[in-house]
Amino acid sequence: MLRTPVTIREATVTRISAVRDQVEQADGLPAVLDAACEAFEEMLSVIRGHEDPSDGWFTAFVMSGTCAANGRDAVLFAPSLPPNRLHPPPAGTMMPGQGSAETIADAIASLSGLLATGLARAAGSAADPRDREACQRAAGYARDMQGLLTGSGP
Amino acid sequence: MTGGSTFGDFISAAHWHLDPANRAHGPAGGRGGAEEAARSLLRVVTVMRRYVDDMATAFDDVPSRTRRTLNPYARTWIQARQALASSAGYLRHHRPASRWPVSPAASPLARRLDGVTVSLATGRDLLQTHFAPGPRGTRQHRSEWAAVVSSPQATRALLAELASLGRQIARQGTDLALAGPSGAGGGQDERRRLNAACQWLWALDASVRAAHQREPVSDRDRELLRAIPVNARPPRRLPDRGDPVAALCQGVVDSAERVHHAAWLSATTESWFPGLTITSLRGVAEAATVTSHHCEVLLRSLAAWTSSPGPGGIRADLLAAADAAGRARQGWLRTAHALDGFITDMQQYSSPAALESRDLALWTGRLAYANPEWTLASGPGHAARPPEDLAQGPDDVRAVIAAVHHASHTLTRLAQADREQIRAAAGMGRILVPTRFLPDTFDIPRPFGHAPKDRVDPLLAVYQDTGQLSVETTAAVATVAEATRAPSQLLTTTSTAVDTNHDASYGDQTGGQDKMHGRDEVEVGRESRDMPGPVERTLLDLGVTSADVLQRGAEIDRASAQIIIDAAAGQTRDSRRTAPMLSRSAGTAELVNHVLASGDPRAVALLRRPVSVQREPPEPEP
Repeated sequence: MLRTPVTIREATVTRISAVRDQVEQADGLPAVLDAACEAFEEMLSVIRGHEDPSDGWFTAFVMSGTCAANGRDAVLFAPSLPPNRLHPPPAGTMMPGQGSAETIADAIASLSGLLATGLARAAGSAADPRDREACQRAAGYARDMQGLLTGSGP
Repeated sequence: MTGGSTFGDFISAAHWHLDPANRAHGPAGGRGGAEEAARSLLRVVTVMRRYVDDMATAFDDVPSRTRRTLNPYARTWIQARQALASSAGYLRHHRPASRWPVSPAASPLARRLDGVTVSLATGRDLLQTHFAPGPRGTRQHRSEWAAVVSSPQATRALLAELASLGRQIARQGTDLALAGPSGAGGGQDERRRLNAACQWLWALDASVRAAHQREPVSDRDRELLRAIPVNARPPRRLPDRGDPVAALCQGVVDSAERVHHAAWLSATTESWFPGLTITSLRGVAEAATVTSHHCEVLLRSLAAWTSSPGPGGIRADLLAAADAAGRARQGWLRTAHALDGFITDMQQYSSPAALESRDLALWTGRLAYANPEWTLASGPGHAARPPEDLAQGPDDVRAVIAAVHHASHTLTRLAQADREQIRAAAGMGRILVPTRFLPDTFDIPRPFGHAPKDRVDPLLAVYQDTGQLSVETTAAVATVAEATRAPSQLLTTTSTAVDTNHDASYGDQTGGQDKMHGRDEVEVGRESRDMPGPVERTLLDLGVTSADVLQRGAEIDRASAQIIIDAAAGQTRDSRRTAPMLSRSAGTAELVNHVLASGDPRAVALLRRPVSVQREPPEPEP
């Protein structure tokens, strides 16, 4: 795969950072679910653009992509998820292959860890068992992603 | 396929019991009671009739558009039923008090026949493990092998095996029947009946040989029949640290077989099956992507190991197969991407196919990478297993190719199964799309909506493409398997047999024409030569050893057989005297037997069915 210019790589990481800010700032179950849904969707989009069989990250990215899609779907089934997005999608268009695999993996692993913690906390405070179940399952997928991208997975 | 019992074990055992060189049952041609032999022969014939009755269901299983491929053997099947019923008709007064002999038979021939009965009955039990009773006497398939058992290829091979056994039994049975009072116990009528029963086994043989002339039974047909395993999956197993390459290859094959069965099961279940979840579909696509990737890695490593790039070498074929595996991987990756936009009404459940597919990805990865502790969660940056570690000799190459062949073959089945499941589930409204990520111009008050046809069709098209790419990979690996004589060669024949019985959704996997082998012609020719006619036998009894004289005797026997056949074929039914009448004396019986043993189907005109055949119920199964 061609090395991408530093500016583009930074743009991709910036998009992930923007989603991360939303996760960190989310307050209350609907906001946490909304941010989590956006985060999973954004991570999925970034991962799918970096699945390159010629580099050593291929298997980890493919499997992380499945976790991201499943995590997003788990959140979609939470009754407290707001029907419409609370924030506009991150600015800029993600181009396939933007950023080095290591940089992207680091950013996604870090965001996955944050999501896992936030969703586990939300599960503990959710009153509706369906919300609780959705948060627990999504947290599990986020933990799996972190493990896959750091080589410490299940 | 994976080292368990196969149908071939029992067919071989049946032939072993009849082998004149086998002294386990006493000397070949050893005399004994005709009555005891007739009782044992009835058991054999009864089991053979069960096999032939099963084929009736096999014909029902075959789609009407493929029945034309059965035509020569469908006719043979009818003749075989008649021949066996007639043979049983001459023996029926010996209906045994118990299904099995209470004590071992005294005569060598009866012991041989009892051994054949046990082998054939057990072999039939093995075939039946692939079926369950269905409504109104039909059979339901319990594995993909059921389609193989019912296939035209296996059916004609089975008829050929039964005919071959019948031929051997007829010869030994008539030897006993015509041995005369000093050689065989039992009265003249007893021996005449035994002889008549055996003549109908020759009739069975003649009808199969006639079909063989029109549509030969190939070596591959026979291999396919013999390879049918007992319906039992290998146990689930995960790789251990330090497993040698041979153990890892076997692990891949076993795992692939488990996935294959799980995929077959999922494709045969109803569309409301809870196993159809987006989690399962994604799990399969993910595992298949990774497995294809590992197949490519393995094939490239093997290509690096082989040092013969010339036309006779397999390096070019290995590289072509590796390229194909790479394309299949990209196809599966596109499938995974396509699934990102869908959800299902149920989510959490992971189907057996998804779980087993993950195991297959693990096994192939452990084989492909150098790290002896590699897992799917090991993270990035793992080196491929060095070629010299992967294969140290041709046997290793064959084992690795077989492993890759099984894995590729299984991925083809997965693509087919999941595509069919999605199509059925979409029809039931079970495939959904999330509305949250639609543009704001869509104001849909529900989080999900049924996936419209214009969204599902492209998904099905992606599966179709991926299935085709997997077929092409399997075909490319089959070429290498053929060239190296890898143990997985039979997969191609199996697929062809299954596809004959089912609608083939993808392309041709045959990878070449069956090589016809003249085994039957060779065997039949030898049989005719080995069985002397009356003149040649008289010469032998006189102690003549001159090859020239014996040859002249054999020619006279052949000529007389031909005259009798031509005469019998030219007579009307009413004017014809049938074999039981012709066989009143040992001399004429021997002549008639020789005519029947010639294999000319017209010789059957000499025979008459016993009166009892139409009236009596079938024998109980031994």
